[in-house]
Amino acid sequence: MSTDHKEHPTPKKYVQIAIVLGVLTALEVTLYYLEDLVGVFTDSLLIFLAVGKYVIVVGWFMHLRFENKMVNRFFAGGMILALILFAIVMLERGMANFFYS
Amino acid sequence: MSSGHEYPHESTGVETRKLGMWVFLSTEVLFFGTLITTFLLFKGRNFPGIKLTDVYDIPFTSISSFILLMSSLTMVLAHNALENEDQEKTRVWLLATAMLGAIFLAGQIYEFTEFYHKGFELSTNIFSSTFYVLTGFHGLHVFIGVVFLIALWAIGQRQQGLSLDRGMNLEFIALYWHFVDIVWIVLFTVVYLI
Repeated sequence: MSTDHKEHPTPKKYVQIAIVLGVLTALEVTLYYLEDLVGVFTDSLLIFLAVGKYVIVVGWFMHLRFENKMVNRFFAGGMILALILFAIVMLERGMANFFYS
Repeated sequence: MSSGHEYPHESTGVETRKLGMWVFLSTEVLFFGTLITTFLLFKGRNFPGIKLTDVYDIPFTSISSFILLMSSLTMVLAHNALENEDQEKTRVWLLATAMLGAIFLAGQIYEFTEFYHKGFELSTNIFSSTFYVLTGFHGLHVFIGVVFLIALWAIGQRQQGLSLDRGMNLEFIALYWHFVDIVWIVLFTVVYLI
């Protein structure tokens, strides 16, 4: 069991994190309107920004980066299962489209 | 506050109630994962009736998203204030979080009403059904969170206020609130932007 104890951020640090989240949201909306310019990379960039925001909130605001490894594993387990479910459904859809088209 | 602390008296090293809360959130990830997968299954297909892209208002939803993001900041500041045993600030930040959550909910109700008036209804087609079920369940979670926050604020108003001994209650509600926020981060991208 890990015995490391990292100090929680200060209120000033939390405000800085919130500003970063706000900037990332503004970037997402800008990308949405610049879809014609950015082209095929728009969706990938939007997903990248969303994952970034997700990791920041989970890690800093939910304090997961300061938590016990077991807590991390439980939460990661739920996400992995959800992604497996998503992959199976999309694979099934792709195969159905292939065979019935 | 107990975040990040080890609990040698627990066999897992983690406070049992807290571990239970994280397991609950993990099941919630699966719940929303299922709804998002169902939504994506029908997104992009042609169905009769008006399309979501014809009715939604990105600037409006962007402001709503920003408000919910900032409610995570006020929530974490309430948590921090309780760690510093500042009752007054804890109550102020809790109330601010509840108000921001209520504003987000009001925005969602307004948005749904507009969609209905424009003809994008729950029964328009299977895609509209998945949209309302997905965003509606998220709205329900926000509503439950606002009720919890107001209850906690009311408890804090009592003479003894919120204490570090019972501080775990605030931490659980904070975890739930941040979870609601991360679900919206995904929904905003998947439903509105992509």
